[in-house]
Amino acid sequence: MIELSGIKKRYGTRLALDVPELLFLPGERYALIGPNGSGKTTLLRILAGTLKPDEGNVRLSGLERGEIGYMPQKPYAFDLSVVKNVMLSLGGGEDARKAALAALERVGLIQLAKARGSRLSGGETQRMALARLIAKSHKALLLDEPTASADIYASDMAEQALLEYAAETGCTLIFSSHAPSQALRLGTQAVALEGGQICEHGAVQDVLKNPKSECTKFFLSHWKL
Amino acid sequence: MTGAFQKAFDLLFSGDAQLWNIVSVTMRMTLTSSIAALLLGAPLGVLYAATRFPGRKILIVINRTLMGLPPVVCGLLCYMLFSGVGPLRELKLLFTVTGMIIAQVILITPIAAGSMETYLSAIVGEIRESARGLRLSGGKTLLLMLNESKYALVSTYLFGFARAMAEVGAVSMVGGAIAYKTNVMTTAIMMYTNRGDFTLGLALGLLLLLISLIVNVFAHLLQRRRA
Repeated sequence: MIELSGIKKRYGTRLALDVPELLFLPGERYALIGPNGSGKTTLLRILAGTLKPDEGNVRLSGLERGEIGYMPQKPYAFDLSVVKNVMLSLGGGEDARKAALAALERVGLIQLAKARGSRLSGGETQRMALARLIAKSHKALLLDEPTASADIYASDMAEQALLEYAAETGCTLIFSSHAPSQALRLGTQAVALEGGQICEHGAVQDVLKNPKSECTKFFLSHWKL
Repeated sequence: MTGAFQKAFDLLFSGDAQLWNIVSVTMRMTLTSSIAALLLGAPLGVLYAATRFPGRKILIVINRTLMGLPPVVCGLLCYMLFSGVGPLRELKLLFTVTGMIIAQVILITPIAAGSMETYLSAIVGEIRESARGLRLSGGKTLLLMLNESKYALVSTYLFGFARAMAEVGAVSMVGGAIAYKTNVMTTAIMMYTNRGDFTLGLALGLLLLLISLIVNVFAHLLQRRRA
């Protein structure tokens, strides 16, 4: 379980995130939705521990920081082969290589295993970064717009890989997305944000199909579900 | 003019002892100073880009200022340090190749540090974010950063090498352009031109251009590999 309390984060004078309380339960899949600048990335970075909040704290129970994997919005593809990129967190050896290749197979990048990571396209880099996470066992995965640069086919493969991984490991998924349709496909819960504050949260079907807050209604009014 | 070029080419292939001594001193000085500057400057650049410590921003500003240090000012400072009344007079570095190398290291180290800092600053945030997301250790992250900057490192070295080879202000003041001792290609070109001996000056100029061309072809090939 991941519990946030009294979290505040400012960039200069702008309050980027203000979350008095939020709970992420084990095994659930949370979609963070909201427009640009709503605080999704800031929230994910605080959860991942790559950004310190100005106030408040993140409490982990039943899992440790090292059991949380995080994929940033712009994952870095190192100037190594794709398979070595995936092996980075696995260590060396034949077992690690096999796990890396299996993860690449899942995200549909096996044919690029020997290519240089630095030569991949944006969408391919995101899938490689996803493979880096799902090659290893985690108790929670944090993903910042994991398919933003991918085409429909690649996005489908990535979503499928994530759903399978979550089902196999029982890990908690927390991902941000601009697409409510993706939130519906991947998520079981939704957290709608605007201006750094939570508009509403609950079961994904409820939040997306029967939104109660004005900001969620406004955000969803631009999408045809 | 055409005659001067012809004579210069003839001189290059004649094995003229004075000319090849100048080339030899130049290469010794340039290779040593550019490698030393890279060894000092590159870690500084990594430190500026990849770490956060009090006074870091001030050091970056000082480094950027030193990148524009006029060679004659560097030469003057070294001259004052190494001369008979300077604090380092006991080392007897004035009018020696070692003194010239030190002056060049002072000139090129900030350039190497600044170049590495500029390159790494652009990628260090993304690297660190991805590495933390994968829970990689600090040591492994640093190794990955160094791997990512390997082409920049070579480009930085080549740039430093070219700068050292073409530099004239500091080396002429510290070295004194003594024949068969501290005379390098740039100081020799100046000296021979002043004497009206354009042939030797032109031959050295052609050699300098040729070496610069080779260095730039290397840099270009590296940039193509990186792209």
